[in-house]
Amino acid sequence: MAVPKVPQENIRNFCIVAHIDHGKSTLADRLLEQTGTVSSREMKQQLLDDMELERERGITIKARAVVLYYDRDGKTYELNLIDTPGHVDFHYEVSRSLTCCEGALLLVDAFQGVEAQTVANGFAAMEHNLAVVPVINKIDLSHARPDEVAEEMEHSLAVEQEAIVRVSAKAGIGIGELLDAIIDQIPPPSGDPSKPLQAMVFDSHYDDYRGAITYVRIMDGVVRKGQKIRFLKGESTHEVMELGQFAPQQRACEELRAGQVGYLVCNIKSIDDVHIGDTISLPGDNAAPALPGYKPPQRMVYCGLYPSDGQDFTELRDALTKLAINDPSFEFEAETSEALGFGFRCGFLGLLHMEIIQQRLEQESDIDLVQTAPNVTYEIVTKRGETLQIHRPQEVPDAGEIEEFRQPIVRVSLIQPTEYIGPVMKLCQDRRGVLNGQEYLSPTRTMLTYELPLAEVIYDLHDKLKSVTRGYGTMNYEVIGYFPADLARLDILVNGNRVDALSFICNKGDADRRGRAVVKTLKKEIERHMFEVAVQAAIGTRVIARETVSALRKNVTAKCYGGDISRKRKLWAKQKEGKKRMKSIGSVDIPQKAFMAVLDTGEGNKK
Amino acid sequence: MTTNSRFAPPRAAYIHVPFCRHRCGYCNFTLIAGRDDLVDSYLQAITRELSWLETPREVDTLFIGGGTPTHLTCEQLQQLCATITEWFPLADGHEASVEANPLDLTIEKVDLLASYGLNRISLGAQSFSASKLALLERDHRREQIVSAFEAARETMQSVSLDLIFGVPDETLDNWEIDLKLALGLSPDHVSTYGLMFERGTSFWSRLMKEDLTQVAEEVERQMYLAAIHRLTQADFEQYEVSNFARPGHRCRHNEVYWAGETYFAAGPGAARYIDGRRETNHRSTTTYLNRVLANQSPVAESETLDAEDSARERLVFGLRRLEGVDRGGFATATGFEIDQLVGKPLSKFAHAKLLEDDGSRIRMTQEGLLVSDSIWPEFLRR
Ligand SMILES: Nc1nc2c(ncn2[C@@H]2O[C@H](COP(=O)(O)OP(=O)(O)O)[C@@H](O)[C@H]2O)c(=O)[nH]1
Ligand code: SF4
Ligand SMILES: [Mg+2]
Repeated sequence: MAVPKVPQENIRNFCIVAHIDHGKSTLADRLLEQTGTVSSREMKQQLLDDMELERERGITIKARAVVLYYDRDGKTYELNLIDTPGHVDFHYEVSRSLTCCEGALLLVDAFQGVEAQTVANGFAAMEHNLAVVPVINKIDLSHARPDEVAEEMEHSLAVEQEAIVRVSAKAGIGIGELLDAIIDQIPPPSGDPSKPLQAMVFDSHYDDYRGAITYVRIMDGVVRKGQKIRFLKGESTHEVMELGQFAPQQRACEELRAGQVGYLVCNIKSIDDVHIGDTISLPGDNAAPALPGYKPPQRMVYCGLYPSDGQDFTELRDALTKLAINDPSFEFEAETSEALGFGFRCGFLGLLHMEIIQQRLEQESDIDLVQTAPNVTYEIVTKRGETLQIHRPQEVPDAGEIEEFRQPIVRVSLIQPTEYIGPVMKLCQDRRGVLNGQEYLSPTRTMLTYELPLAEVIYDLHDKLKSVTRGYGTMNYEVIGYFPADLARLDILVNGNRVDALSFICNKGDADRRGRAVVKTLKKEIERHMFEVAVQAAIGTRVIARETVSALRKNVTAKCYGGDISRKRKLWAKQKEGKKRMKSIGSVDIPQKAFMAVLDTGEGNKK
Repeated sequence: MTTNSRFAPPRAAYIHVPFCRHRCGYCNFTLIAGRDDLVDSYLQAITRELSWLETPREVDTLFIGGGTPTHLTCEQLQQLCATITEWFPLADGHEASVEANPLDLTIEKVDLLASYGLNRISLGAQSFSASKLALLERDHRREQIVSAFEAARETMQSVSLDLIFGVPDETLDNWEIDLKLALGLSPDHVSTYGLMFERGTSFWSRLMKEDLTQVAEEVERQMYLAAIHRLTQADFEQYEVSNFARPGHRCRHNEVYWAGETYFAAGPGAARYIDGRRETNHRSTTTYLNRVLANQSPVAESETLDAEDSARERLVFGLRRLEGVDRGGFATATGFEIDQLVGKPLSKFAHAKLLEDDGSRIRMTQEGLLVSDSIWPEFLRR
């Protein structure tokens, strides 16, 4: 296919923002198909979600960009569709993508209506001054309620009902009108090709053969093959080996001009040199100013990953290195635990991000892992006036040295059918939430805003919300800062030995309940030994809960004759294998699952 | 050292007889209940399987087990004994055992067995309590144990009783009574087995449905200790986890298994160990019959252990015997030093007083034996 040369005024850069499952990927597919970018024959469902894991989970994790050409009234338009991740963990990447666009399709499911991420992403688009094209999807559904949903959109996002385009991405209804709306309502990019090069890095990935592939939006100027460029934040200079656009496969071209979106290959061997949000310009004095808004990714959740007994530490390090190359928001560093030996402290954007990384590790390498329970980052101001970042409970100093213990607080918006408001409020209050606001989106749907400790949110709020609202509740959160709280480190002792990997931080008011719940869970997880195993929870030297795993009293096979010998030997040898999945602490074998026991909140035992 | 020279030719043989009147609720042995019509084919198949030995093999020990060998009629039993002893002539000073059910063991059958050189009877008494026997779904009563025992006593050199403990609802006192009544018969040998709930038995599904409850572990322990105490008081020697003998009455055949020596075997589900290779015949009686009668091998599973695994196995099964394992003898037999194989766990368990180590011999302590299934995994490898 010949690549048309499109004047800047015919370029449109846009993204689709939506709550998960409202049909973003399906709509993207349909746009690709309708514009002939991909023939129906090549059409694999949901082309943009090309990572296997994304397909599996049905969510978009990494942002992608694709160029579509569309002819109307004798003119060819270049439409750059920038896909955005749909989950709150990847909020930062969403915001980078928005910076590259002049417009956004705000997509809402005609049955589900406005949900938490619709609101969060819709506002984010408005804050970036994007032209918002409101779209209601899935109008083909027999139980669709487009009129009510239009009302909800007006209420919550202040869009005009008349402006809403109604489509079915699946059935291909209304796609032509939507393309018209994109061209008519979204302004062309306003950059100046004659100015010095200024480009925004909004994503990257690593290719084993060509090194880092950098995704860019050219704001001003032109970039050409063979040219030298400079990363302003990364402070490195490179030569452009190849550049092009995604169609949706990489397609090389000679230049990218102001307003266009594409990729650069610069022989960059380490992805660490590419920072999402960085600005690319020219080396030397003639450089354009850096674009505002670069922030390093903020890791909110940490956990320890250890090879289980008898497994290789270096193998795990290699696997983590490989993952980090493709995902700069994931970070790890070596740590040691008295209980678990050599391993790594790993930082994630959120809990979903953590699960994804862990799943990739399991899929892509053959390592048995012991994972410690995730925790958020705390701040401690010491008596000496230092501020410490606490990424793991073991780092908490003695109580006497702490002036102030702070935890991250998030603002959570929760949207649910009004009938569930009572249980949702209880859920938040039980987690020390402070009600910020309550808003009726429509006669049947309500949005609540709470301030909650992040720690309370990440562990299970989402699951609990789903269960008290029969799946209809949705939530989104943003960090608002660190605030002092009455916190303490709770230690777990197994036969008197503190197991550092089991320590956790919690509110003092919850300590008794949490401590009891955790030792109870541990009692269930730890198999009986040939001796009694005492499991205790303690704050400092004060023991607040204790359970005992009673000793094995009799465990002996009675009959063992000719035919039993092979069978028994195999059985016992297999049990030995099972022990490898455990960590031996003192002489107590602790199974991998037990390290997650500290997540047990003891909700069930609450009076 | 070649594999073959490590293994002497067998001097022991096991024959499996898979017939029972009905299947007891706890039993997962290889057997077929209520199919006496298959006995004749079975006799034919056993004869065929044995003929594959090509030449008769003299043995020091023979064990005819089941199932219930004595469930066969006199005529069938006679045929069986004839075939077996034709292929496995008994050496001087032999021990030849047969398992018997109290209900079937008549004087006539005892005499028949004795005439073929069988000199040891292992009687499946299980209990003297009517309610316990009923729960176990056994078809005999206490008086029948006594008369069968008397019949065996007449002619046999050695009579053993099997007893079960830890049956649902059984108390320590109930068990003590069983032990006392058993001792009252003055057996030469006693085997006591803690009841096991095995997958695939009706007891297992009843346990899952909570129709049966297991005796508390602590009670089971007390029962086991009571057996050891009472029997050793009565001059029995505990020589293996579940086996007790008056002087000179150990079951030599079973000791062959535990010492890692070799043995022949025939019949459905029977396991043999020859030349370092373990083979198990198919556990389904009908499959066994079909295969053998079609001149096909009835072997369903087999494995050849390498030198180290067979050394480890010998250690574990050797340690289930109270006399334990001698370092020097072990090294000579296997080519491995015990300390080189399991030095670390060995000293750990010695330290915990679960086993005793005087530098030359290693033996389990009573406490160690009680929890030995948790110890064995550390002596094996995968
Ligand atoms: N009935 C109907 N289903 C749709 C439509 N668009 C998407 N879906 C379905 O909604 C689900 C989520 O769609 P997907 O595109 O993966 O949503 P995303 O999470 O926003 O990317 C999938 O099962 C789609 O087949 C539509 O217009 N009509
Ligand atoms: S008699 Fe013995 S072998 Fe037969 S079913 Fe009962 S327990 Fe099993
Ligand atoms: Mg998707």
